[in-house]
Amino acid sequence: MQASGSRSGVRFKAEWRLPSDPAFLPVVRGGVERLCAVFGWNESEARSLTLAIDEALTNVIRHAYHSRPDGVIEVTCEEKEDALEFVVCDVGEAPDPTRICARARESQAAGGMGTHIIRDVMDVVEYKQSGRTNQLVMTKRLKSIGGS
Amino acid sequence: MKTSSRDHPSRDQGRVRIVAVEGDVDLSSSGELRRVLFEALRGVSRLAVNLGGIRYLDSSGIATLIEVLKESQKTKTEFALFAMSPAVHEVFRLTHVIKIFQVYETEEQAVGGAGA
Repeated sequence: MQASGSRSGVRFKAEWRLPSDPAFLPVVRGGVERLCAVFGWNESEARSLTLAIDEALTNVIRHAYHSRPDGVIEVTCEEKEDALEFVVCDVGEAPDPTRICARARESQAAGGMGTHIIRDVMDVVEYKQSGRTNQLVMTKRLKSIGGS
Repeated sequence: MKTSSRDHPSRDQGRVRIVAVEGDVDLSSSGELRRVLFEALRGVSRLAVNLGGIRYLDSSGIATLIEVLKESQKTKTEFALFAMSPAVHEVFRLTHVIKIFQVYETEEQAVGGAGA
């Protein structure tokens, strides 16, 4: 049996559409953290998942929109059969694949930590493009209730 | 010169400055934290930063602390962190940088530089 948000067979889906303004980050963080608790992740796991989503949004603000607050970011969080899928979309500058996780893990450099956090926390991470839209798809397997 | 802020109060104990970081440290606030901590390095031999009041920390906050550490090495000022909550410790663990900092449990240890 899998944890379910509704326990009714109706799968959860939520969408946020927000400006690329860091003032909105706590709004998404608050929602994701509560959602993770509903799906059965413990406090530490919920914090890590929330951090990963926050890092994804921060990267969009800084690198896709170059810290301009007037870009559009869309975040979708959808319950799949055995996972929670987060999709972050923007229409800013596309990420340079050669710079994703380019920072050495044990480096003392001050930047580039966000993509490592995302990969460490999530089970599957995919960067996609559709026309002008950049998509980051992050999947985390749901915890089994009474299982491993 | 402003070495403190509403969110990050500071006080001096001899040649040691103690700054308390409070609230959320993320993209919108890490720049202000950087300014406060860079200023706080001036005129003291040791800066001890209390992380116990942090509600949320992201990698931009960690990056800020790395920048302050590097600046402290340039100015030959000791830089110590203390009172790290489990949530804050988790972010340090995920970013693989905890080993580069002097980390203490209590203010007394951080001020004295003992019992790491």
